[in-house]
Amino acid sequence: MTATTAAPVVTARPKAPLFGKAEVKAIKDPLWDNNPIALQVLGICSALAVTTRVDKAIVMGLGVTLVTALSNVMISCIRNLIPNKIRIIVQLVVVSSVVIVFDQFLRAYMYDLSKQLSVFVGLIITNCIVMGRLEAYAMSNPPWRSFLDGIGNGLGYMWILIVVGTIREILGSGTLLGFHVVPQALYDAGYVNNGLMVLAPGAFLLLGVIVWVQRSISGYSEKH
Amino acid sequence: MNVNSNGYVLGFAVVVCVAMSAALAVTANLLKPAQDAAAEFDRQKNVMAAAGLVTEGDPRPRPELEALYRARVVEQVVDVTTGEVDAQKTPAEVAAMRKPEDRERYRVVAVAKDAQGNDEVFVLPISGKGLWSTLYGYLALEKDADTVRGITFFKHGETPGLGGEVDNPEWKAKWKGKTVLDGGDLVSVAVKKGRVDPAIAREQAHMVDGLSGATITCNGVTKFVKKDLLAFKPYLQKFWTK
Repeated sequence: MTATTAAPVVTARPKAPLFGKAEVKAIKDPLWDNNPIALQVLGICSALAVTTRVDKAIVMGLGVTLVTALSNVMISCIRNLIPNKIRIIVQLVVVSSVVIVFDQFLRAYMYDLSKQLSVFVGLIITNCIVMGRLEAYAMSNPPWRSFLDGIGNGLGYMWILIVVGTIREILGSGTLLGFHVVPQALYDAGYVNNGLMVLAPGAFLLLGVIVWVQRSISGYSEKH
Repeated sequence: MNVNSNGYVLGFAVVVCVAMSAALAVTANLLKPAQDAAAEFDRQKNVMAAAGLVTEGDPRPRPELEALYRARVVEQVVDVTTGEVDAQKTPAEVAAMRKPEDRERYRVVAVAKDAQGNDEVFVLPISGKGLWSTLYGYLALEKDADTVRGITFFKHGETPGLGGEVDNPEWKAKWKGKTVLDGGDLVSVAVKKGRVDPAIAREQAHMVDGLSGATITCNGVTKFVKKDLLAFKPYLQKFWTK
C-alpha cells in the first residue's frame, strides 16, 4: 500500500442547492396546493378575528409568518437534541418566546396596532399552523428548508387573510387601509355599509366561500 | 448519549428555559424606552381626543401631534382636598408618588387652551375597575365644568367585543353633551342598562346607553366616573358659578 492510494480524499458532500426542488416545494406548496387555511383549515379563529381591516390582517399575517419561520429554524437546528418525551413542551417554549418578542416590538414601534390586535398577537402561540409546521416539518428537515416552509405557510395564511380583510373592510366600513373608497355620492344615494361584514359571522361566510372557490380551482376534495 | 434518559431530559429542559428567558429579558429591557415613549404619546393623544383637539386615529405624523400637545395642553397638579392648583409639584413627581393617600390627593388635570391661551377644556383622569381589569381614561369637561366634551380609555384589559367596546367611537360619542350637574348637584353621568329613554329629560341629560354584554364594565364606568368627579369637586366648583 503506497501513500498515494491511502486515505482517499474526503470529498465534501455535494452542496445542497439553495433553491432545489425540495426548497421550492417547501415555499410554494402552502401558498396554493396545500394552503393552511383553505386546505388544512387551520388558523381559522384568528382569521375571523383580525380581518375587519386590511392593516390588521397584514400585521397579523406578518406576525404568523415571522413566528412560523423563526421557530421552524430554531426547532430544526436542535431537532436531534430534543428528547422525544418533552418535544411538544420545547416547541411551545420556543414558539411563545418568539411571539412575545414580536409582541414587544409591536408595542414599541406600532403601538396603535398592537392595542387593536390586543390578545390576538399573544394567541399566535396557539395558532395550529405554527405547531403543525414544527411537528410535521421542522422536526425532520434541515433549518434552511424549514425556514422556507415557515415563510411559505405564513404567506399562505396571510394572503387569505388579506383577501378576507379587503372584502370586509370595503363592504363593512367603506374604507381600504383606512382611506375612504366608497364615494360619498353612493352614501347620499342611500347606500349603507354592511354591518354583517364587521362581525365575525361575516368573516365566517366569506371564508367559507373562499375555501370553496380555492378548492374548486385546485381540484381538492375530501376523501370519504 | 442517551437522549431519553431522565437526566438528559431534565438538563435539556433547564437549558432551553434559561436560554429563552434570558433572550426575552434582554429584548424586553432594550425595548422598554421605546415602549414607554409610545405609551406616553398614546396617552397624550387620548387627552387631545377627549378634549376634541384631534379625532380618533388622526393621520397627522407623531412630531406634529406632539407639538400640538405642547402648544395647546397644560398639565397641572391639583390638590383635590383643597381644589387648588399646586404649582410646586410637577406631573412627573405625581407619577412617581407611591403612597396611596398621596396618589388620591394629588391628581394631574390637563387643561386644553384655545388658540388665545384661555382655558377651554378640563381633561380629568378617571380610573377604576371594570370586569377583568382597571380601566384608565380621561373625561373632558367644557369650560363650564358641567358639559361633557368627550371620554376616552387608553388602557384596559376588558374582553374585546364586549367590555372592550368602551373603545367604540360611536359609544364614546354618546357622552358628548351630557351634563354632570343637575340643579347645582353633582350627579355625574351614568351608563344605563339598556337604552336611554328619550321621553325623560333627566335621563337624557345624565345617562348614556349601555353596552350589551358588558354590564359589569358599564357599572364600573358609572361608579368610577362618579367617584373621580366627586374627588375633583373642590376644583370644579370654582368654575360652576362663572
